[in-house]
Order: sequence, then C-alpha cells, then structure tokens
Amino acid sequence: MKINFNKRDPVYVQVVRHFKEEIATGILEPGQEIPSRRELAAKLKINPNTAQRAYKEMEEAGLIYTEGNLPSKITKDEAVLGAVREALILQAVDTFMTTIRPINVPLDEVVDLIKEKYTTETNGEGGGMGD
Amino acid sequence: MIEVKNIYKKFGRKKVLNGVSFTAEKGKITCLIGVNGVGKTTILNAIMNLTPINHGEITMGDEKISDRSFEKITFIPDAITMIPSMTIAESMQFMQDFYDSWNQKRATELLGFFKLKETEQISDLSKGNTAKVNLLLGLALDVDFLLMDEPFSGIDIFSREQIADVFSSHLVEDRGVIITTHEINDIEHLIDKVILLDDGVVLKAFNAEDVRENEGKSVVDVMREVYQA
Amino acid sequence: MSRYLKLVNFELSRFMKIYLVLIAITVISQITGIIVKSKGYLNEVHRTIYGDSISKAQYIEEYGTITFMDYATSSLWFLAPIALCIAALMFYVFFIWYRDWFGKNTFIYRLLLLPSARLNVLLAKATTILLLVFGLVSIQLILLPIENNIFKWIIPLDFRTDLPIHEMLEQSHELSVLIPRSFVEFIIHYGIGIMAVLVIFTAILFERSYRLKGILMAILFGLLAIVIFFLQDFVELLLQKNYLYPIEHLVVRGILGTIVIGLSIWVSNFLLNKKINV
Repeated sequence: MKINFNKRDPVYVQVVRHFKEEIATGILEPGQEIPSRRELAAKLKINPNTAQRAYKEMEEAGLIYTEGNLPSKITKDEAVLGAVREALILQAVDTFMTTIRPINVPLDEVVDLIKEKYTTETNGEGGGMGD
Repeated sequence: MIEVKNIYKKFGRKKVLNGVSFTAEKGKITCLIGVNGVGKTTILNAIMNLTPINHGEITMGDEKISDRSFEKITFIPDAITMIPSMTIAESMQFMQDFYDSWNQKRATELLGFFKLKETEQISDLSKGNTAKVNLLLGLALDVDFLLMDEPFSGIDIFSREQIADVFSSHLVEDRGVIITTHEINDIEHLIDKVILLDDGVVLKAFNAEDVRENEGKSVVDVMREVYQA
Repeated sequence: MSRYLKLVNFELSRFMKIYLVLIAITVISQITGIIVKSKGYLNEVHRTIYGDSISKAQYIEEYGTITFMDYATSSLWFLAPIALCIAALMFYVFFIWYRDWFGKNTFIYRLLLLPSARLNVLLAKATTILLLVFGLVSIQLILLPIENNIFKWIIPLDFRTDLPIHEMLEQSHELSVLIPRSFVEFIIHYGIGIMAVLVIFTAILFERSYRLKGILMAILFGLLAIVIFFLQDFVELLLQKNYLYPIEHLVVRGILGTIVIGLSIWVSNFLLNKKINV
C-alpha cells in the first residue's frame, strides 16, 4: 500500500479515497480485516491522527465496522459496496467527460474507441487487477 | 498542553522574540516554521529554561517548566549533545542512569529502526547517523512532549526519510511534538499544526488539514501568501 | 545512587585520563629525582673525600649530614610535578565548566536538562575538584615513605639524618599546606580551598549568564567575597585595634567563610535556574 499524496487535499480524504478504490476494485474484500490505525500510519507514512481520522470517516460512512475489541473490517453491506463502486465509476467518467467534451467527438466514435481500447488494454494486462 | 504566552527575548539590543504565543497539544505534531535566525531555536531553548526570557510565561499543564519537568518533556537539539568520545552504548547508559523515564526496550528497538551499531563511538559516526543517535536518545524517553530542533538539516536524503518515518510510527504516537524547520518538504503531510514565524512574531497559526479541507490550499500555498504578502 | 553521586562519578571519569597522566608524571619524576639526586650527592661526597684526601668523619664534620627533606625541598624533580599538578587542577577549575560549552551544541545542554536540581551539577563539579586534590595529596603521602626508603637505600647511614614523616612535613612549608598537621588546620586549608573554588564557579556562571557584562559582575562578586571573608581584618585595620583573641579570630573567620560559601551557592543556584544561557 503506497499513496502518492497530493498537497492540496486533506490527507485523511486521500486515505479514504484510496480505501474506496481498493474496495471498488476488489483488492479489499467485504469482511476483510484492515490494518490498525498504528499500522496504517506506519505503512502510508502518515500521522497516526490522520489515520485515526480517516477510519472515523469510513466508520461513519459505513465503509468499515468494528466489533468489540477486534480489528476493524470492510463492510459486507452490498448497498454500501455498490454505492462505493458506482461513485468511483461516476467520478472516473466525470473526469473523462471534462477532458473529452471540448474535443467535440461524436458519441458513436467515442464509444467505439472506448470499446476498442478497453478490450485491448484489458487483454494486454492479462486481466490482472492486483497491485 | 504546552502554552507559550507572549514571550519576549532580547540578545543585547537585538530583539529576537517580540511577543510569541502558541500552544502545542499532546498527541499532535506542531511545526514552527521560519527562515534561519527567526528565533525558532530560541523558543525551544526558552521552553526548556536554557535561556532566560525577558517577558512572558511558558507552562506545561499549568506548571512552570523546571528540572522537575524533565522526565515529562525533553529536547533534541539540532546537533548531538553527548561527549564525542562516548560510544552509543555509553550514551544510552548515561541516559538510563539519569532518567527514570528511559525506556530501554524502545531504545533497543530504535537502534534496529535506525540500523545503528551500539559499539560505535559518536565521533566516528556519519552526519546522518549522528542525527539518528541524537534522536534516539530523546525518543527513548517516555515523555509527554518532545521538542526537536531542525531534525532534517544537513543530512542525506535517506537519513531524512528514515527520520521522517519516526513521525508516522508509534515512536511518537500520543506524544506532543514540537519541531522546528525552515523547509517542510520532508514532513508536510505529517504535521498537524503549523506556526509561521517571522521577525519574532507568529504571523499565522493553523491546522494543516483544515486549510486543505476548507481552502483547498497546501501548507506551502499558505506560507507563500503569508511570507510574500 | 543519587543523581548527584552519579554526576560526581561521571565528572571524575571525564578527567581520569589526564589525572592518571599527572600521577604518572609525579611518580616517575619524584622517584627518578630521588635516585639521580642521591647518586649525585654520593659522587660529590666521594669526589670531595678523594680530592681533599679527608676521611668520612672529617667530611661529615665539615659538611654535615643530609636529610630527605634537603632533597625534597630543593629539587625540581620533586617540586615541579607538584607545581604541575596544582597548575593543572587550577586550570581545570575553569575548564571543568568551559569544556561543556565547547563545540556547536554542547554537553551543557545535557547537564542542564537532567531531571535533577541544576545545583547538583555545580556541587558535583566542586566535589570532583576536591576529590582530585585529595587524590593527589594521597598519592604524595604514599610516595613520601617510598622515596624516603630509596633515599636510605642509596645514602649510607653515616651521611644522612633520618626524620619521621610527620617531622619532615613540619619542615616543609609547601607540603604542610597540602598535608595539614591538625584537624583544625585541615578544616582551615581545605575550607578556604572549597570557598575559593565555589567563588570561582559563581564567577564563571556570571560570565556564562551575562557574557561580557558578566565578566564585570564576576569581578565584583569576587571582590565582594574577599571583602566579606576579610571583614574583621578590614575593621581592625580601620579602627587600629585588635579586639579578638586568636581563637575568636579563627571562629569569626570560620563564620565569614561559611557566609561566603553560602552566598556563592545561593547566587550560583539562582544563576543556573534563572539566568544561564546555553
């Protein structure tokens, strides 16, 4: 786990975003244990307070849950997981839209190009998602 | 909490501190930023009663800081303050002899963390390793507050990275840290509070995450605004 | 072990190398001296006896015998190392402080940040100086009978007069200062020594606290200490009268000395806690 932090977004927001990406892409599975705040801080090289804050946000958003004294885990709530995935896709599409829109390409052409790129790239990478 | 209240300090006719106030909380990393010669070190010296102030007050948890406080608060100056002919092991023994708050387990852990050899003599160490020993001798004390003066200055990039890693580790967890620096690249995303100093006054004090969250600015953005205004 | 004692131990160990060298120089020089001087004396005797064709008895009648103290008080072999040790310790009274300020960030940080009263740092340094003095004096006390035996071993009985050690000490003014003959003298000599060291320490702390201005304050403090310590002499001088018997004189001197010591410690404590600058 390694994040290249940008300097203008709150670090805790970037950590939460990172977790969402890993949840959406399946690197983190529903019910999987996540590191303690201390481990996370050391791993990401961030302030333990920031790790704490990120976990608090995720807990409040229902992304993770904690039972008693056990380590926190990724939620198994399908609705939440679906929403995370959807939000991530939407965000990517939005980014795409803002760059493609000024070029004024017809929709069909864009869709064809996307299809073509998407399949070759996926095959090229061997379909791997990990790391 | 450490409270610095309106402190003034003159060296001869030169006014170094002109009414500096700020607080540093336990569990937070507070960073004093300013160009060299702006009085950062003087503030730390004043907190530790190593230089008399002309006016103002400094307290830790409502008490004045004196030798009785030194099991609770420690200072890591910007160069090692051990006798050069001593070995690392002897320096550690010295600390263990004099401090009840010395944590030998943590000291041993730090030796590993920094990859230091106990038998080496301080005068034979590289700059980077000297800085690490200096840090070790302070970090191994079970104190509430750690004051560090320019821990990143004048050492190689790998040592800097290693030292920065200290701040994201359990080694400073739950403690209050006050750190001075003239450039924050190494620790920008690690610090909680930022105190910008110039001409012996605090120009601005803020929480790093707050300005990112509320204003979408980086710490350096704010510094640019404040110092170039 | 209290932090004060640990500090004493630490300060002693910091000077130990030089100290051992001083001891070695003293031992080697004095023992070499006694051998060289005794042999020289014997050669001189032989030369005179053969040269002037006189008998042993005539020689002794004419030139007398020698005592060990004749050697000791006249020979640089004997006196120079003592002077060297005294000079080294006097220098160290200053250096024991200033060495802590050498370099960029220095050991004084460590000492002032110890979780024990800062006065302990001063008391430990003063104790160290005192122990170093006692150590050297003890070495001298051990050396004297050894040297005396070498002397006896080289010089034949006829040519020498033997004195017990305590009588030797009485003959030598220099040695009797270092090795007092009575407890009262011991208290007086070493009390004055301790007082002087503490006044100098206070003067150093003035300089370290106020730098240039501090030198002036240090001189003033030194003068004040002298005025207090010799107060009765000044008063007597002024009034041209001696009011006190010698024993009363001594008691007053003791009280004044104690006042100077107390004042020094009090001022030092104040400077260390409120005014010192790293």
